Amino acid sequence: MKLWVYVLRRLILLVPTLIGLTLLVFALEHAGGPSVFLALYINPHLTGSARQQLVDRLTARFHLNDPIYVQYFYWLGAILQGDWGTSAQNGQAVTTNFVWFMPNTIMLTVVASLLTWVISIPIGVYSATRRDSVLDQGVRVATFTLYSMPIFLIGFALFLTFGTSWHLLPAQGNIDDNLLPTLSSKSWFDSNAVSYPTHIYLIDALLHGDVPIAWNAFLHVILPAVSLTLALLAGIIRILRVSMLEVLDQDYIRLARAKGVPERTVNNFHAKKNALLPTVTTFGYLVSGLFGGAVVIEEIFGFKGIGWWTTEAFLNSDIAVVMGSTLVFGIVLVLTTLVLDILYGFLDPRIRYE
Amino acid sequence: MADALVIRDLHVQFHTRRGVYKALNGVNLRLRRGEVLGIAGESGCGKTTMGLAVMALLPRNASFPQGQIIFDNKDLMNLPREYWERVGGRFNPKQNERILRRVSKAMGRIRGVRISMVFQEPMTSLNPVLSVGFQIAEAIYVHDPALLARRVLARTRATPSQMPELLAILGATRDDEAAVKEFAAKHDLLGIEDQVLSIWRRDDVHISRKEKAIRSLAGQQIRSLERNIIETVTRTGSIPPKFSRVPVLSRVVRRVFLKEGYRKARELLTSLGIPHAERVLKMYPHELSGGMRQRVVIAIALVNNPEVIIMDEPTSAVDVTVQAQILELVKRIRTSVSAAFIVISHDLAVLAEVSDRIAIMYAGRIVEVAPTDKILRNPLHPYTQLLISAIPTLEGKPVEGIKGEVPDMRALPAGCAFHPRCPFAFEKCHEIIPIDLTHDRDQLVACWLYEAK
Amino acid sequence: METIKEEKGRFDEWKLSARVFFANRTAVAGLVIFLLFVGDAIIVEVAPGLVGVQYPESVVPPLFSLTHPECVNQAPEPPSLAHPFGTTQYGVPGEGCLDVLQLVMKAIRIDLAISLFIVLVGAAIGTVIGVVSAYIGGLLDEGMMRVTDVFFSVPFLILALALGFVLGRTVLNMAYALIIIWWPLYARYGRSLTLSTKEATYVEAAKAAGSGRLKIMFKHIFPNVVPPVLVQISLDVGTVVGIFATLAFIGFLPSNALVPELGALANIGLNLAPLGYWWTVIVPGGAITMFSLAVNLMGDGLRDVIDPRRRS
Repeated sequence: MKLWVYVLRRLILLVPTLIGLTLLVFALEHAGGPSVFLALYINPHLTGSARQQLVDRLTARFHLNDPIYVQYFYWLGAILQGDWGTSAQNGQAVTTNFVWFMPNTIMLTVVASLLTWVISIPIGVYSATRRDSVLDQGVRVATFTLYSMPIFLIGFALFLTFGTSWHLLPAQGNIDDNLLPTLSSKSWFDSNAVSYPTHIYLIDALLHGDVPIAWNAFLHVILPAVSLTLALLAGIIRILRVSMLEVLDQDYIRLARAKGVPERTVNNFHAKKNALLPTVTTFGYLVSGLFGGAVVIEEIFGFKGIGWWTTEAFLNSDIAVVMGSTLVFGIVLVLTTLVLDILYGFLDPRIRYE
Repeated sequence: MADALVIRDLHVQFHTRRGVYKALNGVNLRLRRGEVLGIAGESGCGKTTMGLAVMALLPRNASFPQGQIIFDNKDLMNLPREYWERVGGRFNPKQNERILRRVSKAMGRIRGVRISMVFQEPMTSLNPVLSVGFQIAEAIYVHDPALLARRVLARTRATPSQMPELLAILGATRDDEAAVKEFAAKHDLLGIEDQVLSIWRRDDVHISRKEKAIRSLAGQQIRSLERNIIETVTRTGSIPPKFSRVPVLSRVVRRVFLKEGYRKARELLTSLGIPHAERVLKMYPHELSGGMRQRVVIAIALVNNPEVIIMDEPTSAVDVTVQAQILELVKRIRTSVSAAFIVISHDLAVLAEVSDRIAIMYAGRIVEVAPTDKILRNPLHPYTQLLISAIPTLEGKPVEGIKGEVPDMRALPAGCAFHPRCPFAFEKCHEIIPIDLTHDRDQLVACWLYEAK
Repeated sequence: METIKEEKGRFDEWKLSARVFFANRTAVAGLVIFLLFVGDAIIVEVAPGLVGVQYPESVVPPLFSLTHPECVNQAPEPPSLAHPFGTTQYGVPGEGCLDVLQLVMKAIRIDLAISLFIVLVGAAIGTVIGVVSAYIGGLLDEGMMRVTDVFFSVPFLILALALGFVLGRTVLNMAYALIIIWWPLYARYGRSLTLSTKEATYVEAAKAAGSGRLKIMFKHIFPNVVPPVLVQISLDVGTVVGIFATLAFIGFLPSNALVPELGALANIGLNLAPLGYWWTVIVPGGAITMFSLAVNLMGDGLRDVIDPRRRS
């Protein structure tokens, strides 16, 4: 019963956070004054009288001559209608760009997260139960080193070894460049190099039964995904190991042993279930870093997701995309954290029941 | 053997960064079948360590340089002691851990089924993410799934027409247990005894309800897959690997047995005086009070009918009213259960209420053992005398503490460990460790004062 | 007024703590590496010539292409005796023969100084806000929680980019951006420490004795809040260096800024490394890793000291 209360409370808390987020982005967009704000909606190539007309229209629309709090509401209105500005890089609406690039990033982060959990749980549990064994020490050294490495180094090291030196895996883009001409002739591919319906080359190719393209796209996903996974792994294995060690010291584990439960079951069932709880919480804290990491990794590998697009926008002074990214990443992160919190409430009986 | 458990000259040491703690220094103890033996002593004297040693639940920095724990004619301390002799007294944490793990494995058939233990803190003894019912059911499932299988099978075989006959027999007989056993054997319904008796012996429901419940035991339907599983397990006595390894099938198997385990758990909880047991089973530990949790832990210890039950400070972590309830429970259990109990407590008053004999521990050694009334009326060892005089009584006698402090277990005094605090100490006490001397037939005391001249 | 016995007891505690710390070999190794980095920073600041560093403020010395014409378009050289970490090439047209070791030495000073600045300022602001908010409680506290929630809602790297965009792409602005990102962490941390201390009985006792509110705060709460925060600061310096460098690596600083910074150095090598000149990126990245490693090892050692469970 208490779970519904818990979920409701979290949902209610969502509202001020989202509002605050919009306020933050609003403040950032207006920090440079009205002229900077206008740049969000004006194509830089536009000049002369056409530009002046546009400026006048925008000034009226966003009430730029009114007090700031009035401006906020008109701005918010535009946001809610989906008008976040126009990208200076390709002239498309910011929201359209995000729709094109977001799925790739989501795929990357989801794949990395799943891989992380699948790998970390057995390793973390084993490392804790065979404390100070050779494997445990190896795991500790490896995770410690990975944890200390900046994300770009992990990505770059993989880029250099597998991509450039050994030429084992593709390390740039979402698909081989020489395949692009064939792609543009496909029905599910449009002139903007965007695939349909999911905008993820790998999945769309599979949906259309085009296995060679799908395979190529898959190869391009490997290095970025593995880089992100390695970075996440380090944090998750560390916390899982520590929390397993704490759990194994607890009275109830001793009772399970006293009951005669076999050691393997004690470790993999009784202890693991408890140790996973703080790990889920930690994962929630790491998601912010995960998205940031995705930005870096996408940039290194030229993987066309929203992180890559944001970096390009930053380097090319495309204010609309940078600000829009802040907003959209914020929303995604808030929602992800909410989902994780609910998941945790579901897993921990102390929250689920009274 | 008339003894359920014998501990001979047991030594246990803990190796820490601050030194080697000699927790047990030659403990000698005999636990007779069916008796309740109380172990008393101040905190730090090694009582809990002794209990944990019997269960082989000591942490990885514990070593066993000497001594035997004899249960069922086997020495449980074989492996660690041999290892210690081989290594020549040098402590290696990793190797020690490996030995302890092997001992743990060997103890797998004993812990929880032949010797079980109730820990001190009910608040933390139960796994917070598993339901209480599961934790009890698991105890049976892990050791004796065939028992559960037999129960289910008996219910499916029993026909409604057999029940009135059973009820008639129960109503007429004095020894219900024997009668039910005979009935079950006659009609090939082995497995039904527990279930019938647990209903019949309840004292909180009207007889008509009991009859109705017993009648409803008969004629249970189960699906063919479950029947298959149950019959195989009954035949072979345990869960065959072909069931436990196959992914989906193993889940079905587990579910079937846990369901039956829950049933048995319900019976047990009810007999321990917990109302609405079905509801309690589904709850998680944090939803229960301390007293309830303690009862659950006791249920876990009892569920497999062990021969020895060790209770470590069963009343120390609960408040006074619950204390009384727990003591009542212990007294009730011992009449219905054939196990021998070891009750550990620093509170002599608690032990006086439930124990047949009391042993006094000091600095890792047993200094006196005697039947309860003898030791309270006529304590021999100076430490025992001081302990007894330190108990606050209703008469308002001035309470005397004991001078001095518990010795540093890293550096015990030579000779008798108590001599620095003993008002009667003389020269021999400083030099030679006292041996167990028999006084008045059934009182053992380790004190030179009683050396026959 | 402590008695002599109490004072000696405290000194023994320090000695025991020191002994536990130094028993941990990896923590000591971390300390040594950390001191190496700090030493480098200090030497480059005070007497750069001692280690052969010239022009510590800039990646490329002024008028380099004029003074060293042979270095124009000189390809990077692999590690050798003359250049232990090899050389790198900067910009288009490239100015080569830039010794990577020297660059790293210069960069460490900048990175350390800036990271320390960020963490100290962020911690100071954040902790004070957090403590005050938690102590006063009520609506102010709730409001502050929401504010920090907002800052946590955007992934920090993205927020840093947005802030950098607004503030302008300089090193100092990068620092300010990270301070803005960092203070909410300490606000939360200080708040939780204050809340747990607030519950402690002796604050109640002090209230009962009639001390003023401000006085209570300073006398009782801060001593409980400051030590853990200091520990956290020392751990965060390592993390911030990594984040700072990552930002620079993406290209926060404009390409014509000649600031020696580890991330910026890696960025310089971004186009060179795929051509086979791996050291141009790996070495600066490795330097960051070593520093982070050292700080983390020390942090683990510190945790061993603080954690009362120091058994065998």
